[in-house]
This record gives sequence, C-alpha cells and structure tokens, in this order.
Amino acid sequence: MIELENLTKRYGDVDVVSDVSMQIQPGSFTVVVGQSGSGKSTLLRMVNRLVEPTAGRVLIDGRDVASLPGPTLRRGIGYAIQGHGLFPHRTVAQNIATVPTLLGWPKAKIRARVAELLEALQLDPGQFAAKYPDELSGGEQQRVGVARALAAGPNILLMDEPFGALDPIIRVKAQDDVKAIQRRFETTILLVTHDMEEAFHLGDAIAVMSGGKLQQYGSPEDLLLRPANDYVSRLIGSSDRALRALSLKTARDAAESGDTDGLFPIAPDANLRDALAELIWRGADAAAVSGEAGTPPRRLSLRRILALGRGA
Amino acid sequence: MSTMALAPRVVALVLLLAFLLAPQFFAPVFAPLTHNGAPPIYTQASLLDLAIAHLELVALATVGSAVVAIALGVLVTRRAGAEFLPLSRAIVNIGQTFPPVAVLAVAAPLVGFGQAPTLIALFVYGLLPIFENTLSGLQQVSAAVVESAKGAGMGGLQRLVKIELPLAAPQILEGVRLSTVIAIGTATIGSTVAAKGLGEVIIAGLLSDNTAFILQGGLVVGVMAVLIYDAMTALERIVLRRRGVRR
Repeated sequence: MIELENLTKRYGDVDVVSDVSMQIQPGSFTVVVGQSGSGKSTLLRMVNRLVEPTAGRVLIDGRDVASLPGPTLRRGIGYAIQGHGLFPHRTVAQNIATVPTLLGWPKAKIRARVAELLEALQLDPGQFAAKYPDELSGGEQQRVGVARALAAGPNILLMDEPFGALDPIIRVKAQDDVKAIQRRFETTILLVTHDMEEAFHLGDAIAVMSGGKLQQYGSPEDLLLRPANDYVSRLIGSSDRALRALSLKTARDAAESGDTDGLFPIAPDANLRDALAELIWRGADAAAVSGEAGTPPRRLSLRRILALGRGA
Repeated sequence: MSTMALAPRVVALVLLLAFLLAPQFFAPVFAPLTHNGAPPIYTQASLLDLAIAHLELVALATVGSAVVAIALGVLVTRRAGAEFLPLSRAIVNIGQTFPPVAVLAVAAPLVGFGQAPTLIALFVYGLLPIFENTLSGLQQVSAAVVESAKGAGMGGLQRLVKIELPLAAPQILEGVRLSTVIAIGTATIGSTVAAKGLGEVIIAGLLSDNTAFILQGGLVVGVMAVLIYDAMTALERIVLRRRGVRR
C-alpha cells in the first residue's frame, strides 16, 4: 500500500501540491487526472523522490520513503514516462536490463528476464532484443519503456502520461496491454494523465487534482454519480455521463437469463457501451452473452442496458 | 571510408613519411625555390625529430585542454555548478580571443623560453572548442532520457558516465579534433620562443629569405593536420559505433 500523508510541495510561494493525503491499495490501478499545472506529475514524482516534498511524507507498506537513499528507492519502483525516454545508445535488451544491471543480477537471470518481458509485451525477443530504440515504432518504444520499468519486478509502477505520445489507435491497444500486464504481475500502478477518457478506461480508482489540491478520490462510479464538486463534474463532462456509466459495466454482469435463440453473440468482457453500440448498429433488441463453462448463454437486452445507464 | 577517399590520404601519408625520413631525396623539388645557391632542404635539425617534438607539444596541450574543458563543461551542467557557467564561459572565451602570440609574450618572461610558454598558449587556445562542444553535447541529451535514468535509480555519476557522456561523445570528440588541428597549426609560433618544432623551419626560411624552407615547413604541418584530423574522425567512428552511439 502507498500512503500519501499531507503531501505538500512548494516552489517559492506557490504550492504546486497542497496537503494531499490518499491511500493507494496494493494491486490497484490508480489514475491521477488533472490539467497541466494541476500538480499531478509533481505528486507522482514525490512517490519515488524525484521531487522531495516540502512537507508531509510518503509511506510504502508502512515505510517512509525518505528512509532510503533516492537511487536505492527508485531501483525498487518502476517508472515510465511520456516519450519513453529510452537510452538511444543502448539496445532494447540493454535498455530493459537497466535496473537489473544496477542491482547486480547475474547475466543469465537478466537475459531470461528480458526475454520474458519482451514476450509479455508481444515483442519477439529474437527480433527486438538487439535493435536500437530509433529502429522501433512509437508503440514498440512505449512497450519497451514499460518493459524497462518492470524489469526488476517492482511491486509499484509509476507512469507519467505514458501514452501521451502515441496516436489514438495505438494508444487504446497500449492501454489494454498495460492493463493486462498489471493483472499478470499484480503490480500496483499509479498513472498520471490529463485524459479523463483514459482514466475511466484504466482506473480502479481515480484521483482528480486541480490547483495542487486533491478534488476527489474514489471509484469511477463515485466520480460519475457523486462528483465532489463542480470542478469534478465539469471535468467529467455531463454530455456523455450515461455512456461513461455504461462503459464501467460488463455484459457478463448485466445479462439476464432468457431466450437467446437467434441472437448475435457478444463477449462477456465487453462493456455495455460497446454492447449498446453493437445493438444499435445491428438494429437488434438483444444479444446473447455466452455463459461460463457449462452454463447456457444469457440474454442482454436493449431495455436492460438503457435501465443501467440511467443516472440518479 | 571508400577506396576513392582513402587513396589520396595513403599517398599523402607515404609522401610525408618519405620526406621526413629522407628529405634530401626531395631536394630537386625544392631547389627551384631557392636562389644564390641556398640549401633547398632544412638540415640544421632532423625534420623527423622536429615533427615528433611538434606533435608531442600538440598532444600534451590538447590532452590538457580536453581534460580541463570537459571537466568544466561537466561541472557547469550539474545543478550544483550551474552558477559557474557564465564565469567559465568568460574565461574560456578570453582564452580564445587572446592571440597565442600575446600569450607567448606574456608567458615567456614568467616561465622561461622553450616548451613551457608554448604549451600554455596552446592549452589556453584549445579550451574553447572543447568546452563549447561539451556543453552543447551535454545539453542536447534529451530531458526524458535523463529523467528515465534518474527514475531507474542511477546515481549522478552513473548517469554521467553511462548516459550523458556517451550521448554527448560525438560532439565532445569533434571539439577535441578541432582543437588538435588548430594546435598543430598554432604550435609553429612556439619556435619564436625556442620551443622545438616545425615552426623552426618556417622561421629559418623567413630569416634567410628561403622560400623552400617556408614551404616545406608549412607543407609538413598542413599535411599532418589533415591526416590527423581524418585519422581521428575514423577512430571516433569506430569507437562510437562500438558503444552504440552512432550506427
């Protein structure tokens, strides 16, 4: 667990981060959203002490991060940033091996770990290990950046706008990859973004920051249904609240038992926003959601989706 | 380097070595430049010895310039040293604008005649290109790369040695190359304060109105400068490629 206690960072007379306290659950994917200048990056960088707090402290599993030397602390925490920051004079394998090398792992172990990570990020080790960063596409560079951050198997991964430099099509794929990686390695991820869409797509919990202050911290549903103040509701936007709410629920959770004869199938993991779009496109009233092994498919109707999207 | 580019350099090198080892062999070439039966080839000292002494002087001075200028460049790009940037820049600029001849004039009475004042002049004169190139090389390392290195838990020294210096190396080495070539030419003035070097040949030519001496001194210096510049470029490319900085 990461605990931020009354964290403040002051530059001159300005509180860039002002008295922020929050607890980040182990294994969660927490997204800090805010516009530029909101203090979100500074907040993130105080966790691995790239920025030293003016006041307050950060505890990781109960231990004050200030009790460790900065470099030692940072070797234990993954860090991935916008524009990846790969070392241009080092191969993909050498880049990924950065932290394990600093930690003095044996060569064979490093090699095995690099291969494992490349495979986890769908990059063929034989093809990519010896390449240099400038020989990769933007999406590949981003994945190598994530692999490097995860190389030493940290429990915590900090990500600062990691998808910012990617074009929209690759971005969604990259987001899904990171989400999958997070589940696979059970990493606690703290991600900073200005993009509310991204926050809803990725976050188990979302923290909204503005003017250095934490405006609201809660589940996506909380933010949507019970915004703490005007700023949060404005940031979320009111025009597509219903669709956002639907995007947080899956077809599996919404399906009811019923007649599924002749209905087109929809994946149980699909969210209701996508399911709705599919129903509208096909002009259908309902779809079939395949059940768990051995159970019959269940029915997901348009009426049911509309009911679930209703606010208040 | 292609054979087309290599061939003239090999020819130049062979001619240079031949001239340094057996200058009398070239007497007929230089004879037309002399009059009143003056000797066409400088024989007061062995040209080879002079060339070696000349290069020793250049090497010593340039290594000194490089060590100091790179160290200064690193210092002022650290957060703790940033405030020294204007001062360092001023010192180094003065070093470049102050004519080496004037440095000799000032230094000779202080440290005596011979190698010492020449070394000082070359050293001071060579600082600027290396310092400025080190500075711009280090400043050009992308902020994201440095940030990543920090985030990965590299300490300041590790960042400098493993990331910043290798990435700035092409520019730093370019500065060293530039200083070397400038020093090879400038070192000739050392002979005015009795430093052993090829300037001796040129000055002897000027004093005795012997164009052959002036030309042979100048040619040897010029050809050495070109060949050394090329050799350093080639060596640099090999080193940088091996370190992954350039492909």
